[in-house]
Amino acid sequence: MSNNTSRPGSLSKRLNRVKTYLSKPQNAILLALGIMLTITTVFPMITILRDTVLIHPGSKDAVGTALESSFDFGSEKLTSYNWTNLFTGTITTRVGRTRVTRSVADVYLWTPLLNSVLISIFACFGSILYGGIFAYLVTRTNLKCKKYLSSIFIFPYIMPQWTLAVVWQNLFNSNVVTGGSNGLLANMFGITMPQWWCEGIFPVSVVLAIHYAPFAYILIGGIFRNMDANLEEAATILNSPRWKTFLRVTLPLIKPAILSTILLVFSSAMGSYPIPHYLKLNTLSTQYVAMKGDRIGQASILAVIMMLFGFIILIINQRTTSGRKNFTTVTGKSGQTSVVNLRAWKYILSVILILTTLATGILPIVLFAIETFLPNPGDYSFLTNASSLTSKWWLTSENITESGMYGNKGILYNQQIWNAFAGTLFVAICCALVAGTIGTLVGYCVSKNRRSKWAAYVNNMAFLPYLMPSLAVGVAFFVVGSNMGLYDTFLLLILAGTVKYIPFASRSALNSMMQLSGELEEAAIILDIPWWKRMTQIIIPIQKTSIISGYLLPFMTCLRELTLFMLLCGQGRIITTMLDYFDEMGLYAFSSGINLILIVSILIFNYFVNKLTGASLDSGIGGGKK
Amino acid sequence: MARIELKNVTKRWGGYYAVEHLDLNIEENAFVTLLGPSGCGKTTTLRMIAGLETPTEGRITIDDTVMFDSELGINIPPNKRRVGFLFQNYALWPNMTVYQNIAFGLSNINEPGVYVNDAGEVVRDGQDKSKLTLTKDEIKRVIDRVSAIVKIGPFLERYPSELSGGQQQRVAIARTLAPSPKVLFMDEPLSNLDAKLRLEMRSELQRLHLSTGSTFVYVTHDQMEAMTLATKICLIDNARLQQYDEPLTIYSQPRNLFVADFVGNPAVNFIEATGVQNASDSSSSIELEFLDGFKGKFVPESGVDLEAWHNHEAKLQAEDEAKRRGYVEKTNKDLPFKYNIARVHEPEQTQTKQLTHNDFVIGIRPEFIKLSDDGKIEGEVFSAMPTGMETTLKIRVGNFLLTAVAFGEMFYKIGTKVRMDFSGHRIMLFSRENGMRITNGELIINA
Repeated sequence: MSNNTSRPGSLSKRLNRVKTYLSKPQNAILLALGIMLTITTVFPMITILRDTVLIHPGSKDAVGTALESSFDFGSEKLTSYNWTNLFTGTITTRVGRTRVTRSVADVYLWTPLLNSVLISIFACFGSILYGGIFAYLVTRTNLKCKKYLSSIFIFPYIMPQWTLAVVWQNLFNSNVVTGGSNGLLANMFGITMPQWWCEGIFPVSVVLAIHYAPFAYILIGGIFRNMDANLEEAATILNSPRWKTFLRVTLPLIKPAILSTILLVFSSAMGSYPIPHYLKLNTLSTQYVAMKGDRIGQASILAVIMMLFGFIILIINQRTTSGRKNFTTVTGKSGQTSVVNLRAWKYILSVILILTTLATGILPIVLFAIETFLPNPGDYSFLTNASSLTSKWWLTSENITESGMYGNKGILYNQQIWNAFAGTLFVAICCALVAGTIGTLVGYCVSKNRRSKWAAYVNNMAFLPYLMPSLAVGVAFFVVGSNMGLYDTFLLLILAGTVKYIPFASRSALNSMMQLSGELEEAAIILDIPWWKRMTQIIIPIQKTSIISGYLLPFMTCLRELTLFMLLCGQGRIITTMLDYFDEMGLYAFSSGINLILIVSILIFNYFVNKLTGASLDSGIGGGKK
Repeated sequence: MARIELKNVTKRWGGYYAVEHLDLNIEENAFVTLLGPSGCGKTTTLRMIAGLETPTEGRITIDDTVMFDSELGINIPPNKRRVGFLFQNYALWPNMTVYQNIAFGLSNINEPGVYVNDAGEVVRDGQDKSKLTLTKDEIKRVIDRVSAIVKIGPFLERYPSELSGGQQQRVAIARTLAPSPKVLFMDEPLSNLDAKLRLEMRSELQRLHLSTGSTFVYVTHDQMEAMTLATKICLIDNARLQQYDEPLTIYSQPRNLFVADFVGNPAVNFIEATGVQNASDSSSSIELEFLDGFKGKFVPESGVDLEAWHNHEAKLQAEDEAKRRGYVEKTNKDLPFKYNIARVHEPEQTQTKQLTHNDFVIGIRPEFIKLSDDGKIEGEVFSAMPTGMETTLKIRVGNFLLTAVAFGEMFYKIGTKVRMDFSGHRIMLFSRENGMRITNGELIINA
């Protein structure tokens, strides 16, 4: 290297080593990313942890401690009150005329925790069952209409989370059972569904399962598609009955996909706010929102517990995916995948699936559309009298208080709504650009340093926010944001969105970069082509599709995100909080209209990006290649 | 021990034929290789016999049991055909240990009177008809036997991912052998191994065939493998059976130009020639002109009447066409085989010439080109590839290149002049018109 003949000192030796390490761009980027991700991921977590021991003026902890701190920490008052009170305190509630004393933990912690865990488990189970069976039917049988089915099946995931919850309400609610206006079923056929069907654990689990079933379909379907058919044929030749082949060969092979589905669905379901909110179930996320008024510190403890689940899932995942049985199933040389002949069942099953996917994919759009033309929420009188339909929710251009508009202009003329829509677009574009770029870089650098521990750490750091329930991440950024005076700014929204969505981009980038042979870049290095040129002329063009997926997924998810953002800004800043606001106000026509606009724009975006670039949402979710 | 019979078996997707009206008789205890270039339909044939693929039409019998018959609507599923199948990529279940992989098939046996004899073989028609399955202990004895045959005893508790390619291959063989199948199908089982291991496994497979006494059907695209292993080779091209014969017959008496070209390494030399049969000569010799100016006389090993031969071939072809008229039209058309004439400079353009009965192609195996100081043809060494045992030479004659093999430790300098002759009576003469071999014989070059 140099003509220096004297032995270099240990310091300069170390310095040289650092220099060599950093001379590779991927190492320098990795170092920078690692530091940055550590801050953005860990800092909010620490903040939220600290928030649980802070005294919040005007909160229960302030009253409980009478502003006396257990110990002093700078100028802020710290206390252990929140923890002790949550776990050991009691609370007196009124049940009818009698006053009942119960422990705080029972009311604020154990019940919502139990509900959260139950719906998460049911959601995992349901989505794997539904998505897995669907994946099997689409990939391994001679089912009809596969193309249509597989594209409409992911609609529920593309649409905002609460869509199906609202549809559920609109279908099954009835004045007799749930109060409020009658749903479609009660209106048209006079059928009233029982309470457990309309509200609580059952509908929440079902809706979550349908919403996340596309995950299972994409992940499991990916393995089914690429699975070496010889593995099953070998069992058949050895006279193994079908069920045994399935249990002993097929199921173990799709186990990794099932595990990753659990990994993704469990914490997503746990952190979901809108679905339990609409379907009236007390979970950790709804409880947090209920408590953040007067029990801020204790609410933060709930957020910490949600985060713990994220960690536990991550650890379990790493335990189960390492070890001797760890294998790749995709060796796929044999192109001859045997297709199971369903005979007459192929028509029956196709019809059933088409009807179900219509109900989960198309019906919501139709219902939302109808809702915006009803004179009053739940007023289905147009079924007998078509003239009762109205376009006032769309077209009212002046400020009137009559006809239930409460001074709001029609959707098309409503500046507030379109401002919020523009805000959402702005946030989504920024998040997509930042998260997509960082994620792609993470994928690139990690794939270049496959064996390095630091790379594995950076990868985990980038992925961790995914396992954090959305609400918990939202809480963390809420606490950070309020401390720094960033509340209700686009900056805070973009920051939170970016951190939460980097995993989408990093996963899809990593998966595709791993398949890219290092020789392609090495050939360019030998020719002394600079790094940025290698990226722009070789790597990026080759990985175009998956990189675009990496940008697309944060964008789409951002458009319809509520849980993450609802704590971070006022109601008019972005469209989803706007929607939530109208919903709370009972202006269902407006919220339905906004839902409609959102869904339609997401579908249009998805369609065009898919047509123009070939990238699609499904290739990003699990990185499963089609 | 089993006979396999294929009658008029066809597999097609629309108009695309994977296997076209194949008739094949595989005798008991035979080792038959299905040979052909990739995509010719050999794997499909194998999978149809095993039941993994359903033929479009035809009839397949193993021993005297009809396994498939399109007219009778019989189709016995693969798991009931009691055959063994060795996959190209082994298809070992990655979630099971080696022991579990082998035991899996044994645990599926469910037949009255099954037991394991002292040799560790599964026997199916025992006295005790109430015994349907194998006990754990019996399974262990079978695994002991097969793991000893393929020498995988030390790896029984490992997972497939912890084995090398060769070891995985052995495990796959053990798994296939364990239930003592009467027929063993192998789909390019050695193509994933390195050259040295392949050679080793080849000889082991041969020993295995001898010791098990089962019927082996073996798919390969490697003609060397087919030549060395098989008792009979079934050569397929573009879904059609080209020749079904013993290896040496295929080598020395190929039916057509394709077979002659496909079998043999280094490949046969083709030389285009024109000439007429001597009407007066009792040996029915043919005067030929070839290699831009060389003249010679081809003497058939037994008399042949060219006119009669052509008539006979034309009749066969007409019959074949008549038979195929009723079939669905083949979209992957049978084109005449384009044999390769090696030249130093490729001609700019090849004009299509109207071929007659007087156009021939001479086929000369490299070992029949004899180098000698008084040879009648002079050439120049174009390239020389010595392996130690022999040297493969390309010799330039005018614009043509001929491949020759010289045995022994000799050094040939590129560019030196050599002289040679075509020796022996196994020079092949093909009709250039229809690509079929007319006869073998001797080629005497005029001085």
